Parts: sequence; C-alpha cells; structure tokens
Amino acid sequence: MEKLRSKKLFKNLNYWSRKLHIHLGLFLLLFIWLFSFSGLILNHSKWNISNFYEKRKEGKIVSSIRIPVSRDSVTVLKSVLSQLKIAGEITDVKIWNDSLHFRVSAPGHVRNLQVNFKTGICTQNELKYNWSGKIQTLHTFNGVDKANADLQPNWLITQIWRLSMDGIAIGFIILCVSSWVMWYNIREKYTWGWVVLLSGFGIASYFIFLLGIL
Amino acid sequence: MKKYYLLIRSLHLYFGLFISPFVLIFGISVLIFNHPDLINRVSPVKNIPDIKTKLDKIPYDTTDLRTAKAIIAKLSITGEIDFISRNDSSISFPVKKPGLRTQIKVNTNTGSVLITRKNEEVLRSTTFLHSMPGPHNVKVRGNSGFMKVWRILADVVVYFLLFLTVSGIFLWYILKAERVLGLYALVLGLLFFIGSLLLIF
Repeated sequence: MEKLRSKKLFKNLNYWSRKLHIHLGLFLLLFIWLFSFSGLILNHSKWNISNFYEKRKEGKIVSSIRIPVSRDSVTVLKSVLSQLKIAGEITDVKIWNDSLHFRVSAPGHVRNLQVNFKTGICTQNELKYNWSGKIQTLHTFNGVDKANADLQPNWLITQIWRLSMDGIAIGFIILCVSSWVMWYNIREKYTWGWVVLLSGFGIASYFIFLLGIL
Repeated sequence: MKKYYLLIRSLHLYFGLFISPFVLIFGISVLIFNHPDLINRVSPVKNIPDIKTKLDKIPYDTTDLRTAKAIIAKLSITGEIDFISRNDSSISFPVKKPGLRTQIKVNTNTGSVLITRKNEEVLRSTTFLHSMPGPHNVKVRGNSGFMKVWRILADVVVYFLLFLTVSGIFLWYILKAERVLGLYALVLGLLFFIGSLLLIF
C-alpha cells in the first residue's frame, strides 16, 4: 500500500516536472539566449564583438539649472534629475560646500554629473555603449554596491531587472531539478545518466568545495 | 524529422544532466550576487589570522606576473593571481580560489611578507566561479591551472546550454500534446523579454 502511494506520488512529481520543464524552458528561452550570449562575450574580451568600451561614444552636455535652497543631497539629486529629465541608478555621490558629483547609470549609458552650486551649471560627461556593451552591462546590472552591500538599488528599473534576474535564476534551478526527476523516471533506459550526472557533480564539487581547501 | 528524435532526445538528456550542476552554480550565484546583504548575514566572511614571514631570492627584475608566481611558489600558496600593484618598495596582489581570498604584500627591499586571508565560504565560491574569467585583467587572468580548466568548462556549459535550447524546441515541437500550451509559454516569454528591454532602454 505504502509502495503504491509513493509510486503514485513520484508519477505525479514526474508529470509536473515534465510540464514545468517544457513550459518554463520555453518561457525562459530568450533570457537563456541573452545571458548565454552576453556571458560568452564577457568571458572572451579578445573577441572583436566584446570590445565595446573602446567603441564608446563620449559626449559632454552643459546645462544651466536651478539649485534648490536645501543642501540635502537627496533633495538636490531629485531636483537635478527632474530638471534634466534623466533617470538611472545613482551611485558615487559626493557632496561638497560648492558642488555635487554623482553618476547615473543605465545599461549602456553612463553619465557622470557635476553640479556647481555657485554658478548653477551642471556638466554631464556621458558614455554611450553599442549594443554589445548594452547586453554586457545588462548581464551584471543589479545595482549592488560591493563596497556597501546593505545599499539597495535606488532606480525602480534596476529593482525590476534584479527581481527578473532572481526569477530567471530560480527558473534555471527548477529546470535542473525537474530534469533530474524526469531522468530518474526513465533511468533504466538511460543507464549512462548516473555516470554523466555524477561526473558533472564531481567536477562542480571539486571547484566549489575542494579547491579552496587544497 | 522523427528519425532524429531518439538521438536528439538522448543528447538533450545527457548534455543536460552533465551541465545541470554547473547551471545550478550559475543560478545560485545570481541570487548571491543580487543579495549580498542577505548572504553577509547568513554566511559572513571570516578573517584568518595574518601570517608574517620573510623571503629571499625573489626575481624582481622580470614581469610582475613572474615575480608574483615566484613569490606564491616560495610561500606554497596556490590560486589565481589577480591585479598586481607594484611600486619602488613593494609588490602586492590577491591570490584567489573559490571560497578563499589571500592578499600578499611583499616589501621588495627587506623581503618581509604579510599574508592576509579571508574565508569567503562556499556560497561565495559560486559567485567567484560565475565571474571568472570575466572581462577584466585579461593579460593576467588564467595564470592558474584551475582557471584554465574553468575557462573551458564555462564555455562548454554555455555551448551545451545553447544546444539544449535548440534541441528542446525540437523535442517540444514533436510533442503534439504540449504544442498549444508551449506556444503560450513561448509568446508570454517573448512579451516579457521585449517588455523588459523596452522598460530598460
């Protein structure tokens, strides 16, 4: 009886794993291509296609802006961004008595801004990347400040993209687990599966667990 | 088309099983990359006591990488040498392995060495591997044996993954029962993908 129940449970698990594997895989297809392709070009910086930084376009925009009375950095930043009608992930904020310096980044577009409080002049030095640069920066665009891990992304788009990346990563994990369940169901037909799966796990475990202590 | 079905099904299964642990590494590492605050709380980086020692006969009149390699060989330290910084009186560089980061600073006048180490724990091993070899420090990267192997493995995983997507589409297309629902999933994914890109750019 117990055996029958567990057999039925596994049959159900296999059914849903199969459904999930097929449809989740199809749903994530374009994201898999995007991250695979961008991952390849990130790892092969000698490829002509990878070299986006040297092909960047630089520009300088000088604008006159109204400086708010408050010197609170958040108030000044919000006012400057709304006047210039720009948006992005804000980083590297440095405020002095007479000026404010900060960076606004979006995938493929970086602006370094300097605001002079005395003259009311804002200077933007911008870098624009080609499509290869855009997808490479998209691959790593999560708004995380390595030096200050507690800081959260401050641009809504970064937060959405980070959430999407989390979802895609969880999707990848589900694809792996469902593939094991599906193979286990037909393991007698695909006996080499044990060898292949254990080889993969063996090599991955060497890199993750053993290398650090050897 | 059906005559290729069994072959493609077998290849899809075996390639998929082989790369699944690596895909797991990439998947888990994304979550760790995106939420370092959480990981720092769950699994903080541990400092290992510093080591001070002295070295002699280090070849300083060669390239920075050769000097760094000679230093770690004398110190019996293994790993991937990263950004080397050198001035008139010192040379310093990190030596990285998954889960362990060692910083070496050598006074080139006196030969005294300071070794600081950080145990970054297993979860951060995944982020280290995910980001390697990466786009930075190209001239030096791949100076350790394991990184040479990992570079190839990372490529193999991506090429296999691309094969899995193409073979997966083929296998789905053959399955008539899943065609309609699969098409919905594909279109939904396409809309989500285009929507995301439109939102960002």
